[in-house]
Amino acid sequence: MAEGTHENVVCTFCGCLCDDLKLEVKDNKITDNENGCAISKAKFLHHAEDRLEGPSIRSNGTSTKVSLKDAVTRAVDLIANSKRLLVYGLSSTENDAHREAYKIAEEAGGVVDNTSSVCHGPTILGAQESGEVVAALAEVRHRSDLVIYWGSNPQFAHPRHMNLHTKAAGEWIKDPKTERKIWVVDIRKTISAGVADKYIQIEPGTDLEVISAMRALARGKILDIDKVGGQSVKDLKELVEAMKAAKYGVLFFGLGLTQSKGRHRNIDAAIRLVQDLNHHTKWSMMPMRGHYNVAGANKTSTWQTGYPYAVDYSRGYPRYQPGEFTAVDMLARGEADVLLNIAADPAAHFPRDALKHMGNIPIINLDPKQNMTSLLAEVNIPTAIAGIECDGAATRMDGLPLYLKKVVEPPEDFLPDRDILKMIYEGLRRVKK
Amino acid sequence: MSKDIILTNGRVYDPMHGIEGEVKDICISDGKIVEKVNGSAKKIDLKGKLVMAGGVDMHSHIVGSKVGVGRAICPEDHRKDPVPKTKDTRGGVGYTMPNSYVIGYRYSSMGYTTVIEPALPALKALGSWEEMEDLPNLNSGLLPMFCNSMITFDYVKEGDQSGLAAFIAWTLQKVGGLGVKMVNPGGTYAWAHGVDLRDHEGEIPGWGITPKDVTRSVCKAVEALKLPHMMHFHPNNLGRVGNVETTIAQLDMIKDIKGHGGRDHICHLTHMSFETLSSVEGGDLDWGSIESGGYKFAQYMNKNKHFTADMGQITFGPATTMTGDGPFEFYLYQLTGGKWVSLAVDVELPGGAGIVPYTYSPKAAGNSVQWAIPLEFALSVDDVWRCIISTDHPNAGPFTKYPLVFSWLMSKKQRDIWMEDMHKFAHERTILPTIEREWSLQDVVISTRASPAKILGIEKTKGHLGVGADADVSVYDVDTTKVDFAKNPDKIIKVFSESFLTFLGGKQVSKKGKVKGVPNEGVLTIHPEINESLWARINKELEQKMNNWYSHSFHNYPVPDVYRKHLEKKTVIDSTSVPA
Amino acid sequence: MSAVGVKAVVTSGRTLKQGRGMEIGKLSSEYFEEVSVCEMDQVTFDALGIEAGDSVRVETIHGSVIVTSRLDRRAEPGVVFIPCGPYANAITGSDTEGTGMPDYKSIEAQIFPAKGEKVLSVKELLSKMVEGS
Repeated sequence: MAEGTHENVVCTFCGCLCDDLKLEVKDNKITDNENGCAISKAKFLHHAEDRLEGPSIRSNGTSTKVSLKDAVTRAVDLIANSKRLLVYGLSSTENDAHREAYKIAEEAGGVVDNTSSVCHGPTILGAQESGEVVAALAEVRHRSDLVIYWGSNPQFAHPRHMNLHTKAAGEWIKDPKTERKIWVVDIRKTISAGVADKYIQIEPGTDLEVISAMRALARGKILDIDKVGGQSVKDLKELVEAMKAAKYGVLFFGLGLTQSKGRHRNIDAAIRLVQDLNHHTKWSMMPMRGHYNVAGANKTSTWQTGYPYAVDYSRGYPRYQPGEFTAVDMLARGEADVLLNIAADPAAHFPRDALKHMGNIPIINLDPKQNMTSLLAEVNIPTAIAGIECDGAATRMDGLPLYLKKVVEPPEDFLPDRDILKMIYEGLRRVKK
Repeated sequence: MSKDIILTNGRVYDPMHGIEGEVKDICISDGKIVEKVNGSAKKIDLKGKLVMAGGVDMHSHIVGSKVGVGRAICPEDHRKDPVPKTKDTRGGVGYTMPNSYVIGYRYSSMGYTTVIEPALPALKALGSWEEMEDLPNLNSGLLPMFCNSMITFDYVKEGDQSGLAAFIAWTLQKVGGLGVKMVNPGGTYAWAHGVDLRDHEGEIPGWGITPKDVTRSVCKAVEALKLPHMMHFHPNNLGRVGNVETTIAQLDMIKDIKGHGGRDHICHLTHMSFETLSSVEGGDLDWGSIESGGYKFAQYMNKNKHFTADMGQITFGPATTMTGDGPFEFYLYQLTGGKWVSLAVDVELPGGAGIVPYTYSPKAAGNSVQWAIPLEFALSVDDVWRCIISTDHPNAGPFTKYPLVFSWLMSKKQRDIWMEDMHKFAHERTILPTIEREWSLQDVVISTRASPAKILGIEKTKGHLGVGADADVSVYDVDTTKVDFAKNPDKIIKVFSESFLTFLGGKQVSKKGKVKGVPNEGVLTIHPEINESLWARINKELEQKMNNWYSHSFHNYPVPDVYRKHLEKKTVIDSTSVPA
Repeated sequence: MSAVGVKAVVTSGRTLKQGRGMEIGKLSSEYFEEVSVCEMDQVTFDALGIEAGDSVRVETIHGSVIVTSRLDRRAEPGVVFIPCGPYANAITGSDTEGTGMPDYKSIEAQIFPAKGEKVLSVKELLSKMVEGS
């Protein structure tokens, strides 16, 4: 790829999908990342480091380098002989790779799940109950006079979110410092809470009660208790009145809401609260998607299978059931007998019982970098990094699709995920004939 | 290259060439209809079966973010309608929002070959192109929306017609659109400011212009650009009792605008069933006062020749309403209390869509009138070429129910059967029971093939079986000389639910309901070329406006070639006469 | 050595350094240093009788893990924080209550002092977790 400056490059770390990176490339290495946050800089400047060695096959604890052809053959073999294939990951690779993953799951009669099952899956479940009122990032900066981050710590997880969107001026909010208030609701005082206008602390696991109480208060009900989740009802009432008085409110919510007690019920309650507020004024909400393309994984899964995640093909058509076809459950129950892991690290992010079973089964791992899953995998195939070493499409947290550019050449013989998955799919079809 | 084909002994209905039930051969070579083929061509003897061009559906929500959101949040819509994979097709699900593969296969098995997605938020176009990659067995196209965009408002406010036209041309080029869509101009935007703007002469908050200004300006721009498809219009005040008056007013307000090249039609009004609700004399504008405005609207249409319309026929049963009319969806949510999705509306994503799952019941007062309206209308218009069959899939019903719609149009007996069990309003508040007229088969062919192709401006290659057309052909298992459709409505449904054969670009893709999956046949786009100085101006201005207003870069807006080159069937339009 | 620990709820999440470490490489020292810690308030430190930097053992009904303690000046007693990663997961349960989502955010735990005890490396921790598989 061209040496020199590349502008308007899309960052492939978090769901913000900032597209204003200015990269300098020298000798096929990225030497500067202007505009990217600290994590973005780490990703782009260290892209060549810690790469997954391979392709390799692990046997009896030792990993041996093999040709790509042999690695693919082994992978095909494992999948063809599996009874219950689990395909997982997808959120850190681009949309065209997803397409191949669904084809493999369909061909093998297996399950395909993506990382939203441990991230914003509950958000989707909540939306399946009640719908959702979704915001877009530009309108937040132009119009919102009240922003709430609930169970989200953007300064750490989405480092430019506040600067670019919620603290930034817009067409009708020329002076955000005075014209817009930012609240943070959390169980501990995070760094984001430190830079907000108001910090509201609630007790762990009480999100559902607090939101339900707020809903009741918004509808003019009188509660016969004094305190909910550590907050006085009097204080909650003031918050609700302020929310009703806002001209344009936006609720950003994170894993603090999806992962804590109540899970999707928390989200359902939040959706209903926001919908209720729309009877008085304009409110919308947005999930703070973690990985840069987890929203894309939900999207591709939905148009190609009809369902956003946790999809099973064992009957020859897609079926959907969180809890049954979600990765953590399938592993914790010991149900999956082969794991095809694409651009994710379940060994680092799954709870211990699920992890234990990963030690029992053969794992085929596609990733650009070494990670914990690669230490367990039987077949490791290194891949080109989407958005740096290969192109593709990804989806931002508010649904905007963006084209990821190829900026440098991948290490020799490193192919994009989509090409390797295509090889595995075609190999599988040949075997099944 | 596939072998040449000759279809013999078919009874052909090709309204664009005035052919109605004539037995003639259809010759196919290299994906096109040709004059003749040589002796080695594959012969298929149709033995008197019905032959027409492949169906052209000009308004059906099949790709895009709101379709995706609808699908994702309604798993219950899919569970009862699984579609197992076969040797030739991918697996999937139905019902009102099937996955992409099943949409393509089902249309194909019904004999449709071209389907247009009528509402695209332009800057999300990349996502739609990705989806069309997975939309098999069809030609497709996209209509980007323009009327709730701050950029549009900016040009309209300045009275800058050239700028507006250039913005439209730029967008159509950059995202690969086929025409211009308008959805509740200004109204959806106003709603984001908490204003319920339903009056087309009311002010769009903060801009000092009215929806009327926007609609007129866009309509003029479309004609100035000489776009083949006229402005595709979903008016203000949709879904409200009494709105037949406001719809007529909005059509009146553009009546004076001259069509390019002297053409008559400068507007296509979509899903008229939602826009022509009347109210009983002396009644309030509430659902209890609902009356059909279908006949009234037909009279208006017969007298005023500047527009065409599609029906938006309610089919009863489950549907999923999804439109770019956010405030209407909010209103519907308040009626149902069920699920409600509102998608963002702002400069960057001028979509403002809403989604509300809804079930239409023949026993419900309002629904029974809504059902009657488009039928009353279609059966009262003089010129069937101006009346297109649609269900605004999936808003009024799924596209799989088109044969049922045909049967209501073609058979009074069928209408009477259905009205027996319907709420009494179907009898009291509409004149449908008194209408004897029945559409002929040729009328249906006009309304589902020839006319949509003409209205979309794709009639060179679609909607007919003349030499030069794409070889999109559907054959149905019926001898039209031996059947009385009007007396046997069940036969209508049986015949048209499944083609005997469907050809797409000369490839046989369906036989008796068994589909062979083939890739998307191509995405139809137009490329309006404006003159150089206007092009330079618009690029400069849009970069500045997007820098100010958008949260992503002007440079990342266009859909990159790598996602469109292999699918795109582009028509270049000479729009250079638009002054700089 | 006390048999009774300090009760707390363990929560996990991202930190800037954890994100950076992750992008540099999961087997890097940056990553290890950031995810193998438990951030606690001063009151909890005093109750445990240790200093920031000493090891602690965090125990839940799902398991226990040794991590390095770190002071969070803004924190209040009752909630401690381990950045998301393998150390937090070592004490997290896999019951998703039919939703696919484990309970990452509020796990009842007891914290014990573990001064001098080694914090396992990422590789060592992984081996231990899959031991016997």
